[in-house]
Amino acid sequence: MLLGRDTYAKKWIIRPDGEEKVTGKLRYLTDLTAPGMLHGKVLRSRYPHAWILSIDTSKAIMTPGVRIVVTAEDVPGMNLFGIAFPHQPVFCHDRVRYIGDALAAVAADTEEIAEYALSLIEVVYEPLPVVDDPETALEAGAIKLHPDGNLLHRTSLKHGEAETAFEGCAHIVEETYFTPRQMHTYMETEGGLFVPEDDGRLTVYSPTQHGYKDRMQLSRILGMAEEQIRVVSSPIGGSFGGKDELNVQPFGALMALKTGSPIKMHNSRRESVISGIKRHPMRIKMKTGADHEGRLIAHQVSILADTGAYATLGCEVLNFATEHAIGPYNIPNVDVQGTSVYTNNGVSGEFRGFGGNQVIFSVESQIERLAEKLGMDSWELRKLNLRAPVDPGPMGQQIVQTEGANQVWSKVKESPLWAKRGKLKRGGESEEQQDQAERLQAEERDDKCEDQVPWIRRGVGAAMVMHGAGLGLGIPDHSGGRIELTPEGKIQASFGFEEFGQGLYAALTLMLQDFFGCTAEDIRIVIGDTDRVPSSGSSTASRATTMMWRALQQLKPPFVQALLQQASALAGLAAEELATGAGGIHRKGDESGMPVVTYAELAEAADAAAKPIIAHTEFDYPTTPEGLVGAHYLYSYASVIVEVEVNMLTGRVKVLQTDHVIAAGPVINPMGFLGQIEGGSVMALGYTLTEDAVMKESNYVRHNLDTYLVPTFKDSPHTIRVEAIEDLPEGDTFGPRGVGEIGSVGLAPAITAAVRQATGIWVNRLPISPESIVQSIDWLEGVEAID
Amino acid sequence: MINTTYVLECSINGKAVAVSVPASKRMSDILRDDLLLTGTKVSCEIGRCGACMILLDGKPVNSCLLMAYQAAGKEVTTIEGISAGEELHPVQQAMLEEGGLQCGYCTAGMVVTLTALWETNPTPTRAEAEEALCGNICRCTGYEGIFRAVEKCGLSMKREGQKPL
Ligand code: FES
Ligand code: FES
Repeated sequence: MLLGRDTYAKKWIIRPDGEEKVTGKLRYLTDLTAPGMLHGKVLRSRYPHAWILSIDTSKAIMTPGVRIVVTAEDVPGMNLFGIAFPHQPVFCHDRVRYIGDALAAVAADTEEIAEYALSLIEVVYEPLPVVDDPETALEAGAIKLHPDGNLLHRTSLKHGEAETAFEGCAHIVEETYFTPRQMHTYMETEGGLFVPEDDGRLTVYSPTQHGYKDRMQLSRILGMAEEQIRVVSSPIGGSFGGKDELNVQPFGALMALKTGSPIKMHNSRRESVISGIKRHPMRIKMKTGADHEGRLIAHQVSILADTGAYATLGCEVLNFATEHAIGPYNIPNVDVQGTSVYTNNGVSGEFRGFGGNQVIFSVESQIERLAEKLGMDSWELRKLNLRAPVDPGPMGQQIVQTEGANQVWSKVKESPLWAKRGKLKRGGESEEQQDQAERLQAEERDDKCEDQVPWIRRGVGAAMVMHGAGLGLGIPDHSGGRIELTPEGKIQASFGFEEFGQGLYAALTLMLQDFFGCTAEDIRIVIGDTDRVPSSGSSTASRATTMMWRALQQLKPPFVQALLQQASALAGLAAEELATGAGGIHRKGDESGMPVVTYAELAEAADAAAKPIIAHTEFDYPTTPEGLVGAHYLYSYASVIVEVEVNMLTGRVKVLQTDHVIAAGPVINPMGFLGQIEGGSVMALGYTLTEDAVMKESNYVRHNLDTYLVPTFKDSPHTIRVEAIEDLPEGDTFGPRGVGEIGSVGLAPAITAAVRQATGIWVNRLPISPESIVQSIDWLEGVEAID
Repeated sequence: MINTTYVLECSINGKAVAVSVPASKRMSDILRDDLLLTGTKVSCEIGRCGACMILLDGKPVNSCLLMAYQAAGKEVTTIEGISAGEELHPVQQAMLEEGGLQCGYCTAGMVVTLTALWETNPTPTRAEAEEALCGNICRCTGYEGIFRAVEKCGLSMKREGQKPL
């Protein structure tokens, strides 16, 4: 169903954390202050690659107002961090490997003094040659960035015999695709408040996607028991994967403990650009072959990922890319090779879509090219090769069956936007279907190209996405939750997930109402504080919604049973006659709407009997039974259709409309679902058209939002329609799947397909540069000269 | 410490204020650090994102580009001053109802800009609304929810004589 307030009126709720946000009352963790706090700043490297000969902090520490200067020597525990394996130095002491490497940190009375003190730290460097390209990084003579060399990770995925199968192909397409280093550009830059407590504990108020993981890493760095650290991690002003890794936390925590004063840190945008992780730039070679009928026979892929100076989740991102390089298609002969390489460039890591965006752009582009070679409609070509529900996953693994792939792709055919394909009149051109186009234009005025000038072209394109949910086999994917009746008589759910905008409070509120028939008033939600919540794993990989739903599924029976037993004793009615509802326990069939026992009365009784009503659960994200590392078990599907307008004179592409169809199970929170897809779509628009954190000799060229261009109101499409396909097969126990990522994946290939349709130009490099459009002047042919 | 004798006197959210700050201190910092009005956010510090938007004598201004002396004697309204007491401004209500926010970090600036639009041009065309809002970046919503809010809160788009967008 098309998502909107009318279609989903019952579940269209105002988000519980909304009012505080629209009034500016909400305190983000970077808004916090504490009496006597100091300001922390970090010295980053001057060179992307150098030996460090010496670091002299004596002048800095003597500056009035400076309280402490710390370097590698001051780290009591492990001077390393990293979400997958810890090998990124908190402070470098012998060598720097990228421009974001930290050498020292200062805490001072004011931010200005701290900044000034940084300028007084004398570092003697011996610059080293820069390894700024993943290809040269792998050459024999390349300087080694890490003891084991410059190769981080290799992957391989093979079925059949691709090499020989090409011989039997009627048509082969071979192309290389280039994708950019996208920046998360969360609006709240990294920071937080680090408070040493009187009892010797440390409280960290700093946005992260995984409080428990931060706590574990900080404990190693600080040489301090995990229980001594409390991490408060929500609310977050955006993350998109970018705050899953530690950023300023080690520095703030260390200086807070050493000075005994609270430390406030808040990165400037420039610092955020330099030190923050980005989306992996990839070079993807693909060779794809089909027979005369269009059946895909062979697919050969080579992925080269620039992971930058340190690993973070480089291996896992490459695993994901490898798995998704086949798309949702049945191809008998497949050979995917992935390589992730260290360079002196900015660190690449986790980002919404997790490596799927790059390869899906490539594979969908291949399909378009192949369709053209075959003289076949690209919708038909996909349809012909689309996986069936019973087919195994891309790695040959068993996966949970759904009709998703077929459903989303069929919907494309029904879309009015798709119907315009090939019927749009190009200014100045004689079109075969001009009559039809004119009729269409009469019907829909907005289909008319502005003034019918020959240099404005329109086109429509579509793409298809199959996207794994959860972390995939091989990464611990633990989850859990707790539910209890508080002394005030509220149903309180506690999870380790974080609210970074996605609407977790609203989703959980709706789920709790649904599970217990209660009202929003009866509910309390606790998240984002390691002292108060059970460990649920990271809020990442579109997993939180599924995990919360599953947790509640398991928590409901014991919790409700305990409630009803207690109520039965109080009310003198059999437990079977009772059910949870608004305000308390109701008698089944009672229409009065009045509870027989209120939650408050239950809480009182439970308290008196010293029998708290509480339930816990722990479990792992479902994985495929085969032991294939990286393989997913649950997949969601999406199709996306776009209409673009291309200005052949300026080379600018404007996306006019997009339609998304998403098959991810039941919609829990329609406003959140819609918002995630719309937001993901516009983020992908930036990825396709403007966003690139360009590096030159391993230095960032763009340091702020004046040169790194994310879409504004003016750049966003005028209509984004989102349709949700909610049905899951009978007996599916996995429930709703998260949609945080899927809307951001398929837009790029849909746009480039539409550009091809509009202009005849194939794009293989993102973001689409205006030059690549303008320089192809073939369109001039057939245009009459205007005097 | 930098000593300053400059005293900024202005009105903030209807209250007369005098703060002793360097004359070139940015308004965004004064609001956040000196007055603890943290509803005003800072994201780019160079006037590109709109997170720090305030009203200066009723006009939307990036407070990261406004120096203390430039606010002298003027009326400053921050997000904290947009709603009248407990009652939400129609713009705020519309943002809530239409899903015009997610992480909320851009929201304060967005609401301030929208309020200015609401007061100066209550029936903007889509193009006018875009024009008014394109100095506010939102990374979460894709702007659609915000446009729904624009339509909702009485800023009904005029369509007559306009190319529908
Ligand atoms: S912080 Fe002022 S415009 Fe971005
Ligand atoms: S709601 Fe997050 S930036 Fe706008």
